[in-house]
Amino acid sequence: MRMELLRGGYAEQTLRLDPRIKMLMVVTVSVILTAGGYGGLMTYIRPALAVLPLLLLLLSKRWAASLLYILCFGLAYFGEYFLLSRTYGVVNFILLASFSLFTRFMPGLMMGYFLVSTTTVSEFMAAMRRMHVTEKIAIPLSVMFRFFPTVREEYSAIGDAMRMRGVVLAGGKPLKMLEYRFVPMMICSLKIGEELSTAALTRGLGAPVKRTNICSIGFRAQDIVLLLLCLASLGVYIQWLFVH
Amino acid sequence: MIELRNVTFNYRQTTSASKESGLKNISLTIRQGECVLLCGESGCGKTTLARLINGLIPHFYEGELSGEVRVDGKRLPDLPLYETAGVIGTVFQDPRSQFFNVDTASEIAFGPENLGLSEAEITSRVEKVAREMRIEHLLGRSIFKLSGGQKQKIACASVAALCPDIYVLDEPSSNLDMAAMTDLRQHIALWRSQKKTIIVAEHRLHYLRGLCDRVIYMRAGRIEQTFTWEELEALPLQKRTSMGLRVLSLDELKLSPSGTVAPLTDTLEFSDFVYTYKRGEKALDIPSISLPRGAVIAVVGLNGAGKSTFARCLCGLNKHFRGTLTLAGQRLRNGARRRQCFMVMQDVNHQLFTESVLDEVLLGMKKEDKAAAEAILDSMDLLDLEEAHPMSLSGGEKQRVAIATATASAREIIVFDEPTSGLDYTHMRSVASNLARLQEMGKTLFAITHDPELIMACCTHAITIDRGKAQNVLALDGVGRQAILAFFLRKEGERDAVRG
Amino acid sequence: MQKSDKRLNAKDLINIGLFTAIYFVIMFAVACLGYIPIFMPALAALCPLVGGIPFMLLLTKVRKFGAMLIMIVILGIFYLVLGTSPWTLPLGIVTGLIAELIVRAGNYQSAKRAVIAYGVWCIAIFGNFVPTFFMRDAYYERMVSGGYGLEYADAYMSYLPDWIAPILIVACFVFGCLGALLGRAALKKHFIRAGIV
Repeated sequence: MRMELLRGGYAEQTLRLDPRIKMLMVVTVSVILTAGGYGGLMTYIRPALAVLPLLLLLLSKRWAASLLYILCFGLAYFGEYFLLSRTYGVVNFILLASFSLFTRFMPGLMMGYFLVSTTTVSEFMAAMRRMHVTEKIAIPLSVMFRFFPTVREEYSAIGDAMRMRGVVLAGGKPLKMLEYRFVPMMICSLKIGEELSTAALTRGLGAPVKRTNICSIGFRAQDIVLLLLCLASLGVYIQWLFVH
Repeated sequence: MIELRNVTFNYRQTTSASKESGLKNISLTIRQGECVLLCGESGCGKTTLARLINGLIPHFYEGELSGEVRVDGKRLPDLPLYETAGVIGTVFQDPRSQFFNVDTASEIAFGPENLGLSEAEITSRVEKVAREMRIEHLLGRSIFKLSGGQKQKIACASVAALCPDIYVLDEPSSNLDMAAMTDLRQHIALWRSQKKTIIVAEHRLHYLRGLCDRVIYMRAGRIEQTFTWEELEALPLQKRTSMGLRVLSLDELKLSPSGTVAPLTDTLEFSDFVYTYKRGEKALDIPSISLPRGAVIAVVGLNGAGKSTFARCLCGLNKHFRGTLTLAGQRLRNGARRRQCFMVMQDVNHQLFTESVLDEVLLGMKKEDKAAAEAILDSMDLLDLEEAHPMSLSGGEKQRVAIATATASAREIIVFDEPTSGLDYTHMRSVASNLARLQEMGKTLFAITHDPELIMACCTHAITIDRGKAQNVLALDGVGRQAILAFFLRKEGERDAVRG
Repeated sequence: MQKSDKRLNAKDLINIGLFTAIYFVIMFAVACLGYIPIFMPALAALCPLVGGIPFMLLLTKVRKFGAMLIMIVILGIFYLVLGTSPWTLPLGIVTGLIAELIVRAGNYQSAKRAVIAYGVWCIAIFGNFVPTFFMRDAYYERMVSGGYGLEYADAYMSYLPDWIAPILIVACFVFGCLGALLGRAALKKHFIRAGIV
C-alpha cells in the first residue's frame, strides 16, 4: 500500500476533491477521533468519521488500503469491545492502549493517506497559494511530497543491500543498525537533492514573479457537502468540549 | 551566441561536484543554431563546461571564476538562474532526480509556471510540446510509473516547454536503453531543425551520428582539439580509443577481435524462475534454463523486459519467490542464494556502509581476517585507499570496493547491474578487466547491460530477455558476437521504423 | 549563489524540505519500534536522539536564519494534522525562534551553539504533554468519558504527576543535546570524511 503513496496523477483520480477540503477532512477526522470522546451526538459522529476515510478510499479505488483499514480498524474495534471487559490489570492496560491507539489514530492516518495519494504536487501548490501560505513553507512542503516516495525507494534499495550482505541486524548493535541504514540513505538523498535543486533552479523556481498554476482547483458540489459535514462535526465537538 | 573568453574555473565546494575537473583558460564561441558535442574522459571538464553555459556555475556550484562568459552579449554570471531559465534549458543525466512534480503534465508546465506565464499560454505550450515530441500518451500519468526512457522524454519536454534558444544536455543517455536513446536522438534532431543551439556533453557517441556540427575534445580542463564528426570518424579506431572515446557507430564493433569461447561443461540449472507481480502480470517467466558455470554472461533486453527481476530473483531478494538454482549438485532456495550471490548495484552508494574501505571488506567476512582482507584489496588495486571513506571514492573505485566485499564473503555468483552506465571508454575497459579478473578466480558473472561495447570487451555468453521470457542463450564466439550486435542494431532500427 | 545573500533562496528551501522529509521518515521508523505503548514515553528520548543526525546535516547545509524554524513549523503542522498534538506548533514556533537566535549569535559557525540550539528546539516535543499537565482535570475527565476507562486514566495520570513536567522538559533538552552530539559524531565520522559537506 505504501508503494503507491503520492503516485496519484490526474488519470488515477476517480473522485475529484479540492485539496483544501481534503486537508480539512484530515484535521477533522484526526482531531475528533483522537481528542474527542463519547456521549451525546458524539456517539454518532465518531463512527461516521471513522467510516468516511474508508468510503473515500473505496471511491478512489484504493483497494489494498481499504482492505488494510477494514482489517486493522475492525480488529481493534472488536478487541476494544469484547476483550476489554474480559481482562484485568496489566493485560487490560496494554490491550486497551494498543487497541485504542488503532481506533483513534488509524482513521486520521488513512485520511492523510487519502490526501497524499490523490493530490498532485501542483494541486497542492495551488491550494497553498489560495490559502496565502508563504513560499518558505510551501516549497519545502511540496519537496517533501515529491520526496517521500524517493526516500522509500532509497530505503528499500539499502535494505536489499543490507540483506545481501547479511548485516540487517548488524550483529545486534542498535547504533550500527541505524548507522548502516540511515547514513547511506542520507548520502544518497543529498545527491538526489542536489540534482533536484539544479533541475528546478534551471527551470526558474524561485523567480520573483507571481507563479502561475494551471491546475484548476475549486469547490464543487461534493466539496460543499464534505465541507458542511466537517463543520457540523467540529461544531458538535466544540459543544462537547464545553460540556466536559 | 555563446562566447567564452579565457575562462578559468576551480570548484571550491566539497560536494559531489568536486570530482569534476575545473576549467583552464577556455575560449570558445558557439554560434546560434550550432550543435556541439563535448567529449573526453570522465573528469575532463566537459560537465563543468556545460554547467558554465547553463549558469549553474557560479550560481549553484561555487568556486573561483575568471574570464568572460557571455550569452547574446550579456554576462552570464550577472544573471540569476531564473532570468536565464527561459533562454537556456538543461536536460540532466539521471531521469529519476530531475522531477519536481509527481505527474507528467504538471512537470512539463512547471517551468512556464515558475516564470509566471499566463494559463492559456502554458496550456498551449504543453500541448504543442507534447505533440511535437509525440508524448501525448504520457500526459496525465504518474512520474513514478514511467520507465527511465519515458522519464527522460518528459524531462526533455519540460525543458522544451520553456522554449529556450539554447539546450544543454549533460550526459543525457547514461541511463537509457537502445530504444530510448533513439528517441532522444529524435528530440535532438527536432531541436536542431528548429535552429536551436545545442550543447551535448556525452560519453556514448554513436546515437549522435549525423547531428553534430562540431566535436570538442577536452582533457584535464582544457579544450585539446576540435573536429568535425567526419574528421573524428576518419581517425583510426585505435587512436580514438586511446583518447578514451567510445565507438562512433555500432558497426565499428563488428571489427573487434573475436576470441573463441573455452568450453564450459559445468552448468547452473535454473528452475521455476517465474515471478508474478501482485497485480497478476508476469514479470519473469523462465520455467527452466541452463547456463554455463564460470562464464561471464551478459543479460540483454529493453528496459522493463524483466532483466532486473531476473537479477533480484537470482540474488534471493524477492520474497515469496519459489524458483531454485542448482549449483554443484545443490539446490539453492532464496536464503541460500542470498549467501551465494551478490549484486553490484547500479547505484553502488546503496551498498557501502562503513567508514573505511578496510572495514567495508571486513564487514562481509565470516571471521574478520585483516591479512586476507588486505590481500583482496591489493588484488583490486585498493590497498592504498584502505583508510579512505568509501563514499569519498570515485564511481569506479566504489564499484571495486563492492566487488571486494563480494569476494571477501566468498560469493560464487556476482551480478552487475548496469556497471558501465555513464562511463567513458577507459573506465568501461577497466570494468571489463575487473570482470575478467573475477572470472579467472572461478566466479560466474552476470552483467545486466545496455552497453554492447562492454559485451564485446569481456562477456563470454549472452542471454536475451524479452517480456519476461528468455529468448536466446548465445556463446559469444564469432557467430554469437555478430548475432548479439545484430540484436542491438535491430533494436535501434525498430524504433526508427516506428518513428518513420 | 552569492555569499552575501543572507535570505533563504530556492536551493535552501529545497534542502529544508529534503531534510524535513528524512527527519520525518526516521521519526516514523523509530516510532514503529515504540509500537508497544509502554515504550511511548521512551520515544520522547529516542526521537531527539536519532533526529540529531539529519538536523545537524541541515544546519551545515543551510547556514541562514529560518531553516530550523521552518522545519519545526512543518513538523508542527504534521503533528496537528495527524491529531497527535495541537500544542507542538505554537510551542515549536517559540523554541524554534530561540534556537535560531542562539545559532545566529554564533554567526552559524559555532558547533557548541548548534548543539544547544537543537536541545532547545527539541523542547517542542513537550507539546505532546501540554494537556496532561496544564489541563489536567479536563484531560482526565475527557479520557474517562472518551472511552479509555477509569483504570487507564488513573494509571496514566499516576505515571505523569505534576512534578514530572520539568523533568520531561529537561529530558527533551538533554536528549536533544545528546542527539546533536551524535549528529556531529556522524558528520565527522561519515559526511566530512566522505567529502560531502
